[in-house]
Amino acid sequence: MTYLSSESLWRRVERLLPTVVKPGRYVGGEINQIVKPWDSVQTHIALVFPDIYDLGQSNLGIAILYDTLNQREDIAAERAFSPWTDMEAALRETEIPLFSLENKRPLADFDIIGVSLPYETLYTNFLNILDLARVPIYSQERTKDQPLIIAGGESVYNPEPVAPFVDAFTIGEGEEVILEIVEAYQTWQKVGGSRYDLLIHLAEIPGVYVPSLYEVTYQDDGTIADVAPTHPAAKTPITKRIMAKLPPPLTHFIVPNIETVQERVSVEIMRGCTRGCRFCHAGMVNRPIRERSLEEILTALRRGLDQTGYENLSLLSLSSSDYSQIIPLIEGLRELLTERRVDITLPSLRIESFSEELMDALQTLTPGGGFTLAPEAGTERLRNIINKPISNQELLETTRSIFKHGWYSIKLYFMIGHPQETLEDIQAIVDLCKTILKEGRKLVGGRARLHAGISTFIPKPHTPFQWAAFDTLDSIKNKLEILRSGLHGAKIKMTWNDPQESLLEAWLSRGDRRMADVVYHAWRNGARFDAWREHFNIEHWQQAFETVGLDPGFYSHRARDLDETLPWDHIYTGVRKDFLKKDYRWSLEGRVRPDCRERCYGCGILTAFNELRLKSPDGGWKCP
Amino acid sequence: MSGQEDITRIRVQYTKGHELRFIGHLDMQRLWERLLRRSGLPIRYTQGYHPRARLNLASALPLGFISDAELLDFWMNEPLPLEDIRERLSTAAPPGLTIVSVQDVDLREDALQVQMTASEFQVSFFDRQEKAELKGKVEALLSQEEIIRTRRKKTYDLRPLILGLEVRGGDESEVGLWMRLLAEPGATGRPDEVMDELGFENTAYLVRRTRLIFSNY
Repeated sequence: MTYLSSESLWRRVERLLPTVVKPGRYVGGEINQIVKPWDSVQTHIALVFPDIYDLGQSNLGIAILYDTLNQREDIAAERAFSPWTDMEAALRETEIPLFSLENKRPLADFDIIGVSLPYETLYTNFLNILDLARVPIYSQERTKDQPLIIAGGESVYNPEPVAPFVDAFTIGEGEEVILEIVEAYQTWQKVGGSRYDLLIHLAEIPGVYVPSLYEVTYQDDGTIADVAPTHPAAKTPITKRIMAKLPPPLTHFIVPNIETVQERVSVEIMRGCTRGCRFCHAGMVNRPIRERSLEEILTALRRGLDQTGYENLSLLSLSSSDYSQIIPLIEGLRELLTERRVDITLPSLRIESFSEELMDALQTLTPGGGFTLAPEAGTERLRNIINKPISNQELLETTRSIFKHGWYSIKLYFMIGHPQETLEDIQAIVDLCKTILKEGRKLVGGRARLHAGISTFIPKPHTPFQWAAFDTLDSIKNKLEILRSGLHGAKIKMTWNDPQESLLEAWLSRGDRRMADVVYHAWRNGARFDAWREHFNIEHWQQAFETVGLDPGFYSHRARDLDETLPWDHIYTGVRKDFLKKDYRWSLEGRVRPDCRERCYGCGILTAFNELRLKSPDGGWKCP
Repeated sequence: MSGQEDITRIRVQYTKGHELRFIGHLDMQRLWERLLRRSGLPIRYTQGYHPRARLNLASALPLGFISDAELLDFWMNEPLPLEDIRERLSTAAPPGLTIVSVQDVDLREDALQVQMTASEFQVSFFDRQEKAELKGKVEALLSQEEIIRTRRKKTYDLRPLILGLEVRGGDESEVGLWMRLLAEPGATGRPDEVMDELGFENTAYLVRRTRLIFSNY
């Protein structure tokens, strides 16, 4: 295939730009962008987030890899995102291939294309990007001269539904493994060899999964018989990669010139969570918990503000109030906020880790406005089942304290469709919201507001609930109706996820390798931007299931047998399947497993990464 | 806090280059706020929970245009040598934005938008144009007594907004257009509208603003 030289490609793109919405999405040129002369480096990597710039540019994972890779003199990392539908049409009509933002080079010119897949509803956009880049969709059709396609991110802990499209997956944290992949690539280039040889070299890297080196066989009932390596380099299981110590936080953020979803200095204060909520994928796959030091966080925030000029900062973690130095951190933040005239966003605070002291400290940090809590279920019984044991009493006291401290709007997150959920649990959500609002009215009067955010439970791989079934659409709709009729009123607002979108997520997160054909056909049918309500169309997917001859209910609505080989069993997060199984059994008994910061329950993570921990005694691990 | 007497108002002339062509007016305001914050200059902020840098852009530049002559005012809590200010702004500027000049202005002066009366633009074409043909079109347009158009469902006459329109270049250099358009509150001429009237709706061209004209500046 011939490609356009980047200059003439850009001349052609410039003619299109005035005709599309928000052309600033396609031009790059931001402060802190890194553009290296194309011929000055040995290896070119395109980092792709398969949604539009406005969304993808805020992704911290891509930003970290961009920084890590570009620190190497022999590597240039450039960015690419999904074009919005108008730009896609313009590119297709003018036969211009998708290009990178830095050097404006067609993606097919890159050695490696790395795709971030943090959630499943990006899969069709991923295929669309390959197509717009003129790279064959299926791995086996790619030639030696075409880019190597690698993928990583939270959703590829079950890589199977996109396995045939990806040459190699990185499982777990990508900061180190990405460089090992580049090195293997460079060695292969030097030595020479076939594309198959390259894949074998990659399979030898810990945490890299090369799906074409495994054969999947099925039983008569459609469940997995075996996932067997076809080459000695291919291991089972593939153990995820983690950082023994979190690397220094990114401060050199690209500052978008057009408005994007999250424009702020974000510093991850810790990785992992010890709470063990049974529905929570992030809480299970991101173990062990590792904290950054107070000083490192505050220094990084200052430096980030210096380098970006942002007027907002944010702390990232799964549960900020569990950070062991949260009070001193808030003190430090207060100083920073006054000094720099900036605002702060502080997500993920846990109800049970609230103290009066924390509330007092927070009050001065983010006065007024709204406060968010996530009880996730309406009754104590169900909260024990999902292992988020908060008593109604605690919850009420916390919300009272929030109102007392000057906030007048509370947002509560609930999930419906939990295992063993009854309609009483749903009614309890309504009652709870009303009680809280009533209490609020007593404390702050008519200003009190309540916002209930309702999502749908999806049984995710690698969690104790991975064996559970996804609720039926009828049941979900019925539950939403109960909530809607109960939660109307001037001071209450309710928002909810489209149940059909949750269903798609359930299919894709629980799929096996055969599901890839469904993804392919859905894309061919026109599915794109499945995460966007205005674009999502379930019919594309239903048709695809029909074409491929698979039963969607087999993936979503079937409770899995505890002895079944699950499609993702050959991927190891460090948390043993036995442990998950035991935890699932405990849930059936309503038995709670306390926070494992206090005492170790032997989930497996310490055994899996013991050597790493010993090598890095200052890693900030919070396992006891 | 510094006293009222130390407050200074700084006027910056800057260019908006190709890299920023597709960055709109609101985005330019955010871009400037961040540029000022990065510069580390003692800028003045608005009051309240969400302090913002106090700044004032002279005139919105339509999406897709470039410019040699944009103007902005911002305020500082203490005076600094102009050369220092210029250097710090230049260091903090993103690609495509060059600081041309920096000057002190009277605090009591009217807002930039109020002082503006007209803008000048230069239009170059992506594809070669015939000079004679272009001249014919310009003459035909200028000979009209009124040019009635609709913008956002309101009818207006474009003709009095055109203060000047000429064919420039040719022979050795490329043929292009020059125009001066009125820019007063409620009466601002847009180059793309003139181009539409000249019959270039579907022609690729690039507009460069070359000058802002002020009543008293």
